[in-house]
Amino acid sequence: MSQTNAIEVKNLVKTYGDVYALKNVDLNIADGEYFVLLGPSGGGKTTLLRSIGGFIRPDSGSVDIKGKNVDNLPPDKRPTSMVFQGFALFPHMSVSENIGYGLKIQSIENNIIENKVSRMMDLVGLTGFSKRKPHELSGGQQQRVQLARALILENDVLLLDEPLSALDAQLRKDMCIELKRLQKTVGISFVHVTHNQEEAMSVADRIAIIADGEMIEQGTPKEIYSNPKKKFTAEFIGEKNIFNGKVLDVNKSTILVDIESDKIEVANKNYKISKNQGVSLSIKSESIKVDKVKVSKQPQENKVIKGKITEITFLGQFVRYLVLLNNNQEIQVRSHDEVSNINVNDDVMLSWRLEDFLVHEG
Amino acid sequence: MVIFFVLPLMLTVVWSVFERTMFWMEPAFTLFSYENFFFSSRLENFISSMLHSSISVVCAFFIGFPIAIFIRRRVKKVAQHRVMLLFILPFMVSEIIRIFALRPILSRNGVVNSFLMDLNLIDTPFSVFVFTPTGVVIGEIVSFLPFMIFSTFLALEAIPNYIFEVCSDLGVNRRRMFKDILLPLAAPGLFAGSVFIFVNGIGIALIPTILGGPGSVNAGLIATQAIIALDFPLAMAVSAIMMFTLMGLLYLGHKLFDLTKLLEPIS
Repeated sequence: MSQTNAIEVKNLVKTYGDVYALKNVDLNIADGEYFVLLGPSGGGKTTLLRSIGGFIRPDSGSVDIKGKNVDNLPPDKRPTSMVFQGFALFPHMSVSENIGYGLKIQSIENNIIENKVSRMMDLVGLTGFSKRKPHELSGGQQQRVQLARALILENDVLLLDEPLSALDAQLRKDMCIELKRLQKTVGISFVHVTHNQEEAMSVADRIAIIADGEMIEQGTPKEIYSNPKKKFTAEFIGEKNIFNGKVLDVNKSTILVDIESDKIEVANKNYKISKNQGVSLSIKSESIKVDKVKVSKQPQENKVIKGKITEITFLGQFVRYLVLLNNNQEIQVRSHDEVSNINVNDDVMLSWRLEDFLVHEG
Repeated sequence: MVIFFVLPLMLTVVWSVFERTMFWMEPAFTLFSYENFFFSSRLENFISSMLHSSISVVCAFFIGFPIAIFIRRRVKKVAQHRVMLLFILPFMVSEIIRIFALRPILSRNGVVNSFLMDLNLIDTPFSVFVFTPTGVVIGEIVSFLPFMIFSTFLALEAIPNYIFEVCSDLGVNRRRMFKDILLPLAAPGLFAGSVFIFVNGIGIALIPTILGGPGSVNAGLIATQAIIALDFPLAMAVSAIMMFTLMGLLYLGHKLFDLTKLLEPIS
């Protein structure tokens, strides 16, 4: 990955009436990077993508592509191509006509177009489909045609607006692998909008979480998944065990947080927080261990809290326990093996490693 | 299909070879009515009425299709159907009155001529607007234009918005957009509108009766006149010839343009 920026978005604002679709969004996307804009529907990610593509004119702020300001350029004059949501093909044209149309209108010679089209069709895995009409193709194949139609123009950036949302789950997984492979092959930046975190994790070099028109946080898939900075991110990527609390004490290695009924000590990973600040904590359900309370063994300080089993569900690979804590909040525990002799309504002890609990702002 | 199409068609053909009596007709086999048609000025009138209808179709295309495109592309989605409603309003008025109202508008001393004279654009009023084939064509366009607008608008409305976004991403200019995208995708609507206008143009007797001169008689008027003259076999023969001509034209159109392809479901 080189250091130059393919896309630089500065202070972008877009309103619809009183509603902010984008609130002062800044974003840098590197050359050759697979960047995913992830967030809930209506959060502004598509507005951001369309502003980059030139389909939406923002109220203020600027967009630079490859170091050149493109604020006043229409979509076709920007070095971007777009893959649209749904199956946005010309219904009356064959696969090869669809792919070659962008070149045809530039009055490029037919044999050059034919060559490029057939190379593109090989690249996206549509060899032999050139005469088919869109309605004779499956959903996945139609999206491949869209990809080829966009990539054939050899622009610097490919914008993908929920490209896989109309596909079923299995096909979506396969297409994710293909998209990533395709991006590595052509080497340009891809900007991909999705609300599906699994899809985002599997394709992205970097992810930006966008909600309510704001950039919540950015990071690699690993950072976003295992160390989300914001509570919203933790919730959005599917964390079930989130607790609100107040910081009681901060020292170099640990932080003590009060979650009403219990005090939880967590490892301090250079968090920028201070005493009495409201924070939230989260822990992955597979990082908690559940044990039967034994009279002889007193619970160790802090790392262990007590609870009561309310539900045990067998989920194939996992057994899921729902445990009611003293503050009446439920916590989810997922364990690979069933813990013996635990039944609903039993009192249990929950334990974890200090560093498994994460602290989030807000 | 059998009751409403094949049976009337067969009756028309059967009756057309019957022999004429004083007030009705009697079963026979005679081609007298066809002779009567083909060896008189009726044939000439019939052919010229097809020509006039074709001109009306072409004019309706050039006026109606751009209007439909404008409504689809430039009018807000919520207002589109309201605008279409405006084109239905004329149908609240009886067709006779609507066509008759064209007389004072188009005549020598009519609104159009006085307007042009007042602007000093012309010295002498145009007299070709009424009681001429031109008048018939104008009448047909005024009466049938909404059908061209409706049918093409419906076809254009079915084009998803993403098509236009893809075009703006690829940089498709207006001319290419019209030729490569709008025309092929609206073709079924254009076809329906054209057939409708053509058929009514040769079939509806009212317009040449009110706006046409001596030289502008269409098939509908020939049949009407035959019925008034109590020559039922001739009226039937004219109708039969009209239907076979249309079938022939459809077949020709099918051979030339492959109508199944035109009408095949898109998407």
